[in-house]
Amino acid sequence: MSQLSLLDALGDEFARRAMLEAVMVGGLCGAVGVHVLLRRLPFFTMALGHATFPGVVLAALLGVSLFLGAALFGAVVVVVVALLGARERVDDTSAVGVTLSGAFALGVLLLSAQAGFSRDLSAYLVGSIITVQTSDLVTTAVVGMVVLGVLAALHKELVLGAFDRAGLAALGYPVLALDVALLLLVEATVVTSIPAVGTILAVALIVAPAATARLWTERLRDTMTLSAVLGAGSGLVGLAISLQWRVAAGATIVLVAAALFAISLVVAPRHGLIARHRATAALGPSSAPGGTYLPDESRDHSGRLAPAAMAWALCQWRVAKIRSLMASIGPTALMRTRIPRRW
Amino acid sequence: MHDWLVQPFTIPYMQRALVEVLLLGALAGAVGVFVVLRRLAFVGDALTHTVFPGVVIAHLLGQSLLLGALAFGVLTALLLTGLGTHRRVGDDAALAILLTSFFSLGVVLISRTRSFTADLTVFLFGRVLAIDQTDLLQTLAVAAVVVIALVALRKELVLRAFDPEGAAAMGYRTGALDLALNLLIALVVVAAVEAVGTVLVIALIVVPAAAARLLADRVATMTTLACLLGAAGGWLGLATSYRVSVDHGIRLAAGATIVVVLVGLFLLAAAAAPLRRRLLPAGSR
Repeated sequence: MSQLSLLDALGDEFARRAMLEAVMVGGLCGAVGVHVLLRRLPFFTMALGHATFPGVVLAALLGVSLFLGAALFGAVVVVVVALLGARERVDDTSAVGVTLSGAFALGVLLLSAQAGFSRDLSAYLVGSIITVQTSDLVTTAVVGMVVLGVLAALHKELVLGAFDRAGLAALGYPVLALDVALLLLVEATVVTSIPAVGTILAVALIVAPAATARLWTERLRDTMTLSAVLGAGSGLVGLAISLQWRVAAGATIVLVAAALFAISLVVAPRHGLIARHRATAALGPSSAPGGTYLPDESRDHSGRLAPAAMAWALCQWRVAKIRSLMASIGPTALMRTRIPRRW
Repeated sequence: MHDWLVQPFTIPYMQRALVEVLLLGALAGAVGVFVVLRRLAFVGDALTHTVFPGVVIAHLLGQSLLLGALAFGVLTALLLTGLGTHRRVGDDAALAILLTSFFSLGVVLISRTRSFTADLTVFLFGRVLAIDQTDLLQTLAVAAVVVIALVALRKELVLRAFDPEGAAAMGYRTGALDLALNLLIALVVVAAVEAVGTVLVIALIVVPAAAARLLADRVATMTTLACLLGAAGGWLGLATSYRVSVDHGIRLAAGATIVVVLVGLFLLAAAAAPLRRRLLPAGSR
C-alpha cells in the first residue's frame, strides 16, 4: 500500500474515469471562466448553476437525459433574467436573485414531492465525480470540444465585445447574437460540470482558476491557457486529496481552486498584495491610491476610456481599495463611529 | 378559505411554524429593502452560503447551530465589507470564490459524518415544522436587534443607498455603514437558517423587497409592503404546503413552497405595476 490512495486507485476503473472527468471539466471551466470574469458574469453564472436544478430534477423524474433538462432550464433562465432585467424598476442583480431563488425552490419542491428526497438531492447539489459514467465522459469531451472550438473561433469578437461593445457594433458585428452565444457557452459549461462538482459549486470552478490566472498574467491568451491548466490541476489535486482523506470530491476540488486563488492574491509578482504594497511604499505616501483616481489614469488623449488602461487601473484599484477598506473597518475605526453605541 | 388559511394552524407545531415564518418574512422584507436598493443580492446570496460551514461545525461540536451560524455570519460580513463596497472588476469574482469556498468547507466537513446526505438536506432547506419554543425566542431576539438597528440607522442607510458621495462628504463612515448592513443581513440569515435553510433565505430577503419596489415609490411604503409581502408569503406557503400534503398526499417541502409563493407574489406585482401607473396620475405617486 503506497502513501497515495490516488496511485492505488489508479488500477480501478472508477478512479480513472473520475480523473479524466476532473481534468476535462477543470480545463473547460478554466477557459470559459476568463470570459465570465471579463463580462462580470459571476453572479449570473451562479444563478445558472442554481437554476438548472429544477431541470435536472424534472429530467430525472421523466427519465430523459439530465443534460437536456438542465440545458433547457438554463435557457429559460437566460430569457427570464433578460426580460425581468429589462423592466424599469427591477435592476439586473435583483432579477438574477429572484430568478435564482425561485428556480431553486421549484427544484426542491419537485424533489420533495418524490420519495428518496435527500439521497439524489446531494448528488446534484455538490456533485458525485466518483460515480461518473463513460457516457458522462463522452458528453464532457464533446461539449468541451464544441465550447472550446467556438471560443477559439469567436475569440477576437468576444474579447472586443467585453471591452468595447459600441466599437463592436460599429464594426458591424451582431452584438446581441454574440452575447447570447457567450451566455449559451457558459450555460453549456455549467451543465457539463454538474456531475463533477454539482449545481452550487460549478461557479467556483469557473471563476476561481480564471481569477487566479489574471493575477499572474498580462496577456489574455496567456490568461486563458493558465486558467485552463489551473482548472485541470485543481480538479486533479482535489480529487487526489478527496480520495486520500475520503471527503466530498467536488467540494475539495473547489477548495483547492480557492486556495490557489488566495495564495496568488498574496504572492503574485505584479498584482499580488505583497507586490502592490512594495510598489506603493516605493513611490512614497503621496501616491497611495485613493478610490477616485481611476478616471484620470484610464483616459486616453481623446477622452474616451481606453479599455486596456482601464482594466489595468481597475486591477490596481481593487487591491489597494480592499486594503484600505480592511484598514478602515478595524476595531479602532469602528469605535469612532456611532453605530456600535446604538447597538 | 377558512379551511385553507386558518384551520391548519390549530395544531401546535403549525402555530409555531406560522409565528416563525411571519416573523422571518417581515424581518427579511425590511432588511431586503436595503439589499434591493443597494443591489446587494449577490452579497446576500454569499452570506447565505458562507453561514453554512458555521452551522456544520456547530452541529459536529454539538453546539447551538445559531452560535456557529452567527460566528461565520459576522466573519463573512467583515470580509464582504472589504470586498464588496465598490463592485468593480474582480470584486464579484472574489465574492463568488469566497462563497463557494466557504460552502465547500461546510460540504467537506459534513461529508466526514455518517448521516451526510440527510444532514446536508436539513441544513440546506431547513425544517420549519420542527421549530420549538427556544427557536422562536431566538428569532424574536434577533428580530428585536435588527429592527432597533434598522430604525436607528434608517436615515443613514437610505442616504448611503441613494447618494454614497453625499454620505461620505457629510462625514458618515460609509465603510462602517456597509459593515452594519452586512451584519444585519447576516443576522437575518442566521435567524432564518434553522427554519428555511441556508439556500432559501436569499429568497426571503430579495423577493418581497423586489416586489415591493415594483409597487412603491417611497422607501417607507416599500418597507411596509415588503414586510407585509414577506409575512403573507410565509403564511400562504405554509398553509399551501400543509393542505397539499394532507389532502392530496403529495409532500411539499414547506420552505420551498413559501419561496415559490413569494415568487408568485412577485410576478403578480410585476403584472400589476403597469396597471397602477396608468391608474394613478404622475403627481399623486
